[in-house]
Amino acid sequence: MSAASAPLLAADRVRLYLTLVPYLLERGQVTLDEAAADFGVTPRQMRSMVEKLTVIGLPGDSGYWQLPQEMFDIDWDLLDEHDIIEITNDVALRRVPRFTAREAAALLAGLRMVAAVPAVADSGLVAGLIAKLSRGSADAPPDLVIAPVAVTEVHDVVSRALRDRVAVSFRYQAPDAEPTTRTVDPMQILITNGQWYLQGWCHLRKAMRTFHLDRVSDPRLTAIAITHTDAAVPAEFGQGAAAGHVTVRVPERLVPLLGAFPHEEVGREDGAVTLRISMADPRGIKRFAGRLGGALEVLDPPIARSTTRDWAAAGLDLYNLPGARSARLD
Amino acid sequence: MTPPQIPAEERLTNLVVALMSTDIGLTKQQILENVSGYRQRVEAGGKAEALEKMFERDKDDLRAMGVPIETIGDPTDPQDLREARYRIPQAEYDLPADIEFSDAELAVLRLAGSVWSSESVSADAQSGVRKIRALGIDGDEPIIGFAPRITVRDPAFPALQEGIERSRVVVFDYLKPGEEASTRRRMRPLALVEYEARWHVYGIDVDADGERTFLLSRIVSDVKVTGQTFDPALRDGAADRALAGLAAVAESQTALLEVTPGTEAALRLGRRAAPAPQGLRVPYVDRHIFADELATYGPEVRVVEPADLRDAVIDRLQAIVALHGGTEGAE
Repeated sequence: MSAASAPLLAADRVRLYLTLVPYLLERGQVTLDEAAADFGVTPRQMRSMVEKLTVIGLPGDSGYWQLPQEMFDIDWDLLDEHDIIEITNDVALRRVPRFTAREAAALLAGLRMVAAVPAVADSGLVAGLIAKLSRGSADAPPDLVIAPVAVTEVHDVVSRALRDRVAVSFRYQAPDAEPTTRTVDPMQILITNGQWYLQGWCHLRKAMRTFHLDRVSDPRLTAIAITHTDAAVPAEFGQGAAAGHVTVRVPERLVPLLGAFPHEEVGREDGAVTLRISMADPRGIKRFAGRLGGALEVLDPPIARSTTRDWAAAGLDLYNLPGARSARLD
Repeated sequence: MTPPQIPAEERLTNLVVALMSTDIGLTKQQILENVSGYRQRVEAGGKAEALEKMFERDKDDLRAMGVPIETIGDPTDPQDLREARYRIPQAEYDLPADIEFSDAELAVLRLAGSVWSSESVSADAQSGVRKIRALGIDGDEPIIGFAPRITVRDPAFPALQEGIERSRVVVFDYLKPGEEASTRRRMRPLALVEYEARWHVYGIDVDADGERTFLLSRIVSDVKVTGQTFDPALRDGAADRALAGLAAVAESQTALLEVTPGTEAALRLGRRAAPAPQGLRVPYVDRHIFADELATYGPEVRVVEPADLRDAVIDRLQAIVALHGGTEGAE
């Protein structure tokens, strides 16, 4: 978890105590490592949190001194010698607090999104969970909603292949290529920005590949058990093959729109940023250029630049505009 | 003598414990004199005014964490808070005892909580999952094979979320495509919805006095959360209204397109198209966003109508040609 090494703010620590105490009481003895992993902190941070729990207690009755039974206490020997946490005296915070509005909202939106995942849809648990989270929330959770995506036969067949651990074969139409028939050992389905991608071992290419399901047709389950389960799943949109590079210039304000495209900044001046984008075939950038409303300039390699221009010019030719020819270099 | 350094989290947690352990409530005076974290400051001669301010801030911080702090005022004069007593009503604090979660449900929620790429929303989701773990639920084996991701890249997102949560009017500058200058908008934000991979905020435009949906990517200023509040009941069903509104726009607005069979354009647009006698009829929500997409297909698609969409695509293609029009790129 990325939060593991982040410094904890006072509010984070209070929030953590409110959940940690009932967690420990419910579980009796918990190892430092397990508790740390469950709470997304380092074992060192967890130890210090637990040690400091023992200075928390009820207010003194009328004077300043609190009696030992009015303070939280832990089994110090167990912690020091065995790295195991056990609360031996508790004074409050026994019950799990309600969800905050934000916690409920984050989980509700996530739930609505994963509702399309077959394993979740089949479980029939989503509606009940939505009701429980809403009722268990301290305040009405703000509406945070992802529009549902229609699940097609392609999604369905690929999901079944993944579940049954068999290869799936389909026709794949990559941009600017002849359609191919692929047989793939499915490893993972990535769902992002409303698009589904299949990641798996391609029998044709003999390598891990990512397939956009919009480009898949005629999916069929095979009887071939998957074999390449140990291969690493590619990074989100890694192309697997040795990648080429394209250098582009875009206005600074549009950089966030590049999204998940793997890119690195190589320069910045006058409100424009120069970026290096990884791409298996640099000519593929021609399609991307349109996405930023014509504000992305391809600098290098020359073949990518000329392909981009020719692509747009060929598009313009469809409209028979007067003078359009002069804009084009032949 | 300088006051001993009691960390804020220790003081705040002690305050929660104290307010939970009282039925009749504690007065401010009792809290300051007895709760560890305050009392050391009192002993060290801390100024009463500063201590009271600290207590007020602490109360706000705890409430922001979802801890319900009840103020019991003078029954004869509710405005008079001098003798007010404070407590945390257990029934409002506790997760209701009749809400239970199964191991299978925890597995589903873990997947649901894993989708956020935004660190702050992800942290919220994880802390919700932790509360279920604290009920003693271990959860089934994780659901593997699926990696759903929600990306939030718009800097406006957290402030809008806060505005919705606290029912506060927000103010921001909005730049419509094709316009030179942005305009200042004031809105009662009601819901955030992701539609066609873009985040939208739906709410009531205060100046136009009507429901509006704005694209987060077109917000060009920081979003300011004002002190002006609105009735939280306006939020009821807001996301569904927003989605229905966007779907209605798409339904009422379609483009007639000619595509080259077997191309990327035919494939991607064909999935969304309604059958038409010639070409494809594709619904869309926003002309500029759709024109961006159509421009990526180059010669694979031609816009027949409407004219404004067609012009928008032509503008983009011309811009690309002009930008790459130097001889250095020619072969």
